[in-house]
Amino acid sequence: MNLYQPHLMRICEITDETVDTRTMKLEFQDPAVAESFKFSAGQFGEYSVFGEGESTFCIASPATRKGYIECSFKATGKVTQALRRLDVGDTIGFRGPYGNHFPLDVMKGKNIVFIAGGIGLAPVRSVIWTVLDQRDQFNDVIIVYGARSVGDLVYKRELEEWSKRSDVKLVTTVDPGGETPEWKGMVARVPTAVEQAVTVVENTFAVICGPPIMIKFTLPVLAKLGFPEERIYTTLENRMKCGLGKCGRCNIGRTYVCKDGPVFTAAQIRQMPQEF
Amino acid sequence: MTHRFISHEKLSKLVADLVAANTRVIAPVHAHDDAEQIDYLPIQKLEDASLGVQLPRRSAKEFFLPTTEVILQYRCEKEGVKIEEVPSAAKPQVILGPSPCDVAGLEIVDKVMSWDYRDELWFGRREATTIVSLLCSMADATCFCTAVGLGPDSVRGSDAMLVPTAGGYVVRLITPKGEALFKNYVSDQVDALDARVDKAVAEARKRVEANMPAIPADFAASLERNFDHPLWKTMALRCHGCGACASVCPTCHCFDIVDEHDDSERGVRRRNWDSCQTARFTLHASGHNPRASQNERFRQRVEHKFSIYPSRFGEILCTGCGRCSRVCPGGMNLAEVVGEFRKLATAAPEGGAR
Repeated sequence: MNLYQPHLMRICEITDETVDTRTMKLEFQDPAVAESFKFSAGQFGEYSVFGEGESTFCIASPATRKGYIECSFKATGKVTQALRRLDVGDTIGFRGPYGNHFPLDVMKGKNIVFIAGGIGLAPVRSVIWTVLDQRDQFNDVIIVYGARSVGDLVYKRELEEWSKRSDVKLVTTVDPGGETPEWKGMVARVPTAVEQAVTVVENTFAVICGPPIMIKFTLPVLAKLGFPEERIYTTLENRMKCGLGKCGRCNIGRTYVCKDGPVFTAAQIRQMPQEF
Repeated sequence: MTHRFISHEKLSKLVADLVAANTRVIAPVHAHDDAEQIDYLPIQKLEDASLGVQLPRRSAKEFFLPTTEVILQYRCEKEGVKIEEVPSAAKPQVILGPSPCDVAGLEIVDKVMSWDYRDELWFGRREATTIVSLLCSMADATCFCTAVGLGPDSVRGSDAMLVPTAGGYVVRLITPKGEALFKNYVSDQVDALDARVDKAVAEARKRVEANMPAIPADFAASLERNFDHPLWKTMALRCHGCGACASVCPTCHCFDIVDEHDDSERGVRRRNWDSCQTARFTLHASGHNPRASQNERFRQRVEHKFSIYPSRFGEILCTGCGRCSRVCPGGMNLAEVVGEFRKLATAAPEGGAR
């Protein structure tokens, strides 16, 4: 078996998140792999549709739940469109887990502010549930999630669930013009929502994922609130092929996103050439 | 390192015996499509080879990282997908007479291929191969191996090296693999290379050294410092983004992974050569491209070789073979590029438009 040979996985559940974004729950066909497979929140994999190719996404399910993984994707390119044509019971390939992960060990006993935009909630969701599954080990959990419109919000059932929990503070927001008459959340862009919702800074880590434009305008807000760059974590999503530090595609200067990342601190990203 | 002598007849016998034993022997030969060019190709007998005539058009990397190779075979059946074992492509082979620059390139690429995850496709072929390089006396105005710590007599990556002498070759035996290959074919311990050989090496070195002085250790840092230098833009104006440089390069190893599926139920996944010089290399499905312009892509290739690889793997990802300069349709010259940035190495960093 060479490095590039994937595990076979069966699609066991499909959830449409938005008109173009879908979540798939996947189970390893080989019981031995299902038993031994482990990953940490933030890691990614190469998912393949046989005959179409491989595509890189994070593992969107929590690291604390065994026997399956989930991925969320937007049907945009060749592989994701092919993936969308598949049904429950179909087989896909998976290589992974690859890359580093969010340092939950150092976040233990601290507050965490999760900030996500659009489908950027996928990697964050993995961390959120991993934290919630060991809730007593962390302090305050604050989630700020936004999308362009109500229709673009993903994981709606889970948002509902988080909103009902007393040990989670959830703020949802949609961009002005994206609201519906029934919308009860905020109408503001994510940076504005962060400014209003985040009141704890001491002993607090920020985990932020979303469109580059959202990150660009949220980082100054976090700086203003007093977050040091070393306590702000995000992920980079460069195009990848091997995921193993060989194919040369994901380089940003001397950084191999696949091996050194995908999780980086804002301080690390500031040191990189602006090529992502 | 021991030195032995092998006559032309004995070398010829060695090649014949290898071929008879089903070992693939690859050597520089006159290209089938262009008699003025040399290619590395399998030979049947020593007389097919043209040793030491001219640097082959492409490096020898394709015998380790083929232009395209099957990495996965699968069958889509009603019950699901079945993955089939890909038979190992690593067969015993001997590369006879490659240039020291091409051979050194393999050892340099070994580092990334073994970085945490060992690429068995690469190492399977590396281990199944015995490399008998040839002392290089072919240096032209484009070569700069001595600037990257190599030289016409560099034995890095070789199992044995041939040095032409009267009636045959002095064989420098470097590894046990090299010793085993020549064991029954060499005669007479040769204490040292004879004076004529020493002189030839010295002359060859001098010729290459005149092309470019040694690249200093702080060059990587200076390239990083000058990441935003306007020179990148100016120099890249000549770059067509064709990737010819990468395809002839002994150390460029970037690849793509693609599926090929016919109408039947069978399909294969392939690993194909790729190049950071094409726009699609980094293009996201969303349309965003981190290296959207050719100057960024051109800079990436230079940075990867002289800054990224040194900082990650401790050495320059270039053997100074000069091929990229020879093939470039835009007339770009890596030695010139390196020269320009060397001038800046001591100068203060200059920011500017990208």
